[in-house]
Amino acid sequence: MSGAEQSARDAILSAVRAARPPVVLRGESVTSAARMLGALGTSLVDAFTGAAIASGASVTVCSRDEVGRVIEGAVAGARSVLSFADGIPSHHAPTGDLHDLADLDALVCEPELGVAENGAVWIASSSDRLRAALFLAARVVVVVQENDLVADLHAAYARIDVTAHPFGAFVAGPSKTADIEQSLVIGAHGPKALAIVVVRA
Amino acid sequence: MASSVALFVPCYVDQFFPHVAIAALTVLERLGIKADVPEGAACCGQPAANAGFAREGHSTIARFVDVYAPYERIIVLSGSCAVHVKQHAGEVAAHGRKVDTAGAGVAERTTELCAFLHDVVGVDRISGLAATYSGRVAVHIGCHALRGLGLARPSELQVGPFDKVRALLGAVRGLEFADLARPDECCGFGGTFAVGEPAVSTKMGRDKLRDATTHGAQAVVSTDMSCLMHLDGLARRERMGLPMYHVAEVLAGTAGAR
Amino acid sequence: MTQRSFELPVVGAGKRVDHAAAAEAFNADVARTDWHDASLWFVREKRDRAASAVPDWEALRERASTIKEHALTHLDVYLMQFEENATRNGMQVHWARDADEHNRIVHRILAAADARKLVKSKSMLTEECGLNPYLEERGIEVVDTDLGERIVQLRGEGPSHIVMPAIHLRKEEVGETFHDKLGTPAGMADPNALAGAAREHLRKRFLAADCTLTGINFAIAETGGFVVCTNEGNADLGMALAPIHIASVGIEKIIPRVEDLGVFLRLLARSATGQAVTAYSTHIHGPRPGQALHVVLVDNGRTRQLAREEFWRSLKCIRCGACMNTCPIYRRSGGHSYGSTVPGPIGSVLTPGLDLDRYASLPFASTLCGSCTAVCPVKIDLDAQLFRWRQHVVESGKVSLVKQVAIGGSTAVLDRPRLFRVAGALVRFGLRLLPEPLARRAAGAWGRTREAPVPPRESFRAWYRKHRGGST
Repeated sequence: MSGAEQSARDAILSAVRAARPPVVLRGESVTSAARMLGALGTSLVDAFTGAAIASGASVTVCSRDEVGRVIEGAVAGARSVLSFADGIPSHHAPTGDLHDLADLDALVCEPELGVAENGAVWIASSSDRLRAALFLAARVVVVVQENDLVADLHAAYARIDVTAHPFGAFVAGPSKTADIEQSLVIGAHGPKALAIVVVRA
Repeated sequence: MASSVALFVPCYVDQFFPHVAIAALTVLERLGIKADVPEGAACCGQPAANAGFAREGHSTIARFVDVYAPYERIIVLSGSCAVHVKQHAGEVAAHGRKVDTAGAGVAERTTELCAFLHDVVGVDRISGLAATYSGRVAVHIGCHALRGLGLARPSELQVGPFDKVRALLGAVRGLEFADLARPDECCGFGGTFAVGEPAVSTKMGRDKLRDATTHGAQAVVSTDMSCLMHLDGLARRERMGLPMYHVAEVLAGTAGAR
Repeated sequence: MTQRSFELPVVGAGKRVDHAAAAEAFNADVARTDWHDASLWFVREKRDRAASAVPDWEALRERASTIKEHALTHLDVYLMQFEENATRNGMQVHWARDADEHNRIVHRILAAADARKLVKSKSMLTEECGLNPYLEERGIEVVDTDLGERIVQLRGEGPSHIVMPAIHLRKEEVGETFHDKLGTPAGMADPNALAGAAREHLRKRFLAADCTLTGINFAIAETGGFVVCTNEGNADLGMALAPIHIASVGIEKIIPRVEDLGVFLRLLARSATGQAVTAYSTHIHGPRPGQALHVVLVDNGRTRQLAREEFWRSLKCIRCGACMNTCPIYRRSGGHSYGSTVPGPIGSVLTPGLDLDRYASLPFASTLCGSCTAVCPVKIDLDAQLFRWRQHVVESGKVSLVKQVAIGGSTAVLDRPRLFRVAGALVRFGLRLLPEPLARRAAGAWGRTREAPVPPRESFRAWYRKHRGGST
C-alpha cells in the first residue's frame, strides 16, 4: 500500500475508533426458520416451484429417467449448447475467448441447491466459462435434485461454502428489469429464460 | 371510576373546536368519569418542538407537567399531543429541573382519549352509551395516534390486525365504514408542514378526501382535530359538503347535530 | 459535493436546497404527480405482499437491526478483518477518506492499465463521489449499465430514486431519449422494445470493456468477500468479462459473517421491489484468473456520522429505498426535489450531516408520520432522527427570522394562560369580522387552498367555566 493510502487507512480507522457509539452485542443467530417451512406448506418442491415461477423461471419436475428428455426439450432449437451437467453433452459450444460466448444459445448446469422461499438456485464455480455463459447465454437450463431443496436462505447458507469458489450466485429466474415505467421486461442484459428441472428423489 | 382524572384540551381545540371538548367531557361523564380540566397549561409544546424549537418549547411542556402532575390519569384530546407528551415530558425532568421525576411520571400516566376508552373503559361499556349514527364514514387515525400510540395496526407492520378506533365506532348503531384504498396514509397536516410545504400538504389532503369519497364516505371521523382542521379546510374550500367529526362527537351523539 | 449536470430550483445563498419550492414546481402538473405517486405506492404495496409471506418478518427486522448496530459499533475490527481476508483472497484493498481520494484511486488503477472503456453497474456511492464526470474529464468513457441509470445518464440527469433511477420518467420520454441518443425509431415507447434496444446497445459495450466498476451491497468481514445484487445481470456481465474489476463500497456496508447474509438477503429485495430475491445475488471471493480485483473502502463523511450519538444509526441503511416508496412527500415531490444523491427520508437524515446549510430544508420535508420507520428493514428511527435534525437546523440559526419570531411569540402566548385567552379571542373575533378574501390572504399559505376553521363564539374553557364552574 502506498504511503498516502496507509495514512488514509490509519485516518479512517482512527476516526472509527474515536466515534465510539455504545457497544451493541451480536445476539442470537437465526436458525433455519421452522416458521418459514410451515408457511411454505409441507412440500418443498411445490413451494420452490411456485416461487421460481413467480421469479419468471419455468419449472419441470420429473424423475431421474426423464431428465435427459426434459433437457432435450428445454434446449430444443438451440444452435449451440454449453453443458456442465453430467451426462448432457455440449453442442457447437464456442471454445475460444470468453467473448465468443456472446452468441451462445443455451447453458446447462447443475446448481448445488434450490431455495424454496424464493425459487433461487445456488450456482458456484471456478470456471470462467460457466460464469460468463451464465450471463451471456440466451437461455439457461439448470438441473437440481429434490433432495437439494432447502426451505430458506438460512438453511442454504448453512449448507453451502461461499468461499469454495471465487464466484457463486443465487439465481432466481431470468434477467429482468422494471426500470421503464415499472413495466416488467424479461431478459434485460442477461439471459432471457431460465428453465429449472427438478429431479424427484 | 376513581377521581383524579384530568382532560387536556389542546390549544386549537380549546379555541376552535370547543364542541369536540364538550363532547369528550360528555362521554366521560356519561361513563361516570369525573374529569377535571385544570387551568394553566394551554399547550403541550409539540408545535414548537416539531418546528425545531424544542428548547424554546421546554417551558411549555414543563408547564404542562406542573399542571398535570397531580393527576393519576391524564387524558389528552389529541393523538399527536399525547405522543408528544409521552415522548418528551420525561426529557423535561431530565434537564435539571428541581422537581423529581414528575415529567417521566406524567408521560407514563398520559393517554389519548380513544386509547383510554378502548383499553380502560372497554368497548362493552361504550356500547352501553347506545350512541347511534346514520351513514358511512371514513375513519382517519392521526399518524401519531396510529404509529406512536398503537391505536391500530399500521399497514406497514406484519403483526396481527387490530383497530381500537373501529372497535369503538363499531359500538355505534347504524354507523358504516368506508374502506379506503390507503387507510393509513398521512393526511398532510404535519403541523408547520401545512404552511411550510403547502403544495404537498394540500395534495396529500386532497388525495385523502378523494379516497374517502370514492369509497362512499359521507363523513370523516378522526382521533385528531388537527388532521380534521386541515381536511375540513380543504373540503370546505372545494365545497365538498363532507362533514368531519371527532370520535368523541360520534360517541356523544352530537355528530351531525351542529 | 455531488457533481450534477443540471440545476435544481434552489433559492437563497450558497445553493441551498429549497425542497418546498421544488415540490411546488413538481405539483404544478397534477396528473404527473398522481402518476408518480401511484407508481411508487404500487411498489410499496408489492413490498407489503412480500413481507406478509414471511412469518418472522418483524423478528427478522429486529435481527438485521442488531447485526448492523453490532457491526457499526465494532467497525474498526470488522474493517480490518475484511481487509485481511480480502487480501488473502487475492483482492487489492484501498482506503479513501473522501470523494476526491476515491476518484483518484479509481483513476490511478485505470490509468496504470491504460484502460479507457469503463462499464459501471449501480453504485450510489460513486454518484455521491461524482466519479463519472471526474473520469470523463480524464478521457475515460463511462457507461452506466443499469438500465435506469443509463437512461438518466443519456439525459444528463441524476437518478431520482436509489433503486429505480428512472421512476420519474414516462415511457414516451425514455423513447424520445433513445431515439435521440440510440437511434431507435421515433415514437417507440413500448418498454420491451426499448429495453431490447438498450440490451443491444449495452451488450457491445460489455464485450468491449477493458474495466468494470460495481458497487457492493454487503461486504463480509469473516471471509473477505462481497455480494452484489442485481435483476439485470449487468454487474455480472462486467465482472465476468473485464480484466479489471473495481468495487467501491462505503465503510458502513461491512457485515460480520456469512450467515448474516441470510437475514439481509431475505429482507432486501422484499423491501425494495417486493420480489423475494433479486435475479442475481452474486458472491465474489476472489478475482478471476488473470483479473485484477480492487476494493475501495470509502469514508466520505461516514465516520463523522458514526460519531453522532443521535444519528449514527442511519448508517445501518442497506439502500433498499422502501422509505422512499412509502413516503407520502417523496411520492408527491420526486427524488430530484431533495437535491441529493440519496433522497427521501434516509437522504434527509444523511445529508444534513454532510452540509447542514445546504440541506437545512430536508428534515422539514416531512410530516413525521412514521411510515418510513415502520418499513425500514433495519429499523432506523428515521422519524425521530428527522425531528432531531430539526433542532440542529434551528440551533445553528438556519431557520428564517420570521419563523423564529413566530415560534418565540407563540410560545410566549401559550405559556401565559390569560394572554392566551385574550389572543385566542382576538383571533376568533378577527376571523369572524374579516371579509373572506382578506381572511384568506391573512391566512397566508394556509388560506391559499384551505378555509380557516369556523370561529366559535366562545372557547371551551369559557364554556367550562360557565357550565362546570371551572377547574376544581
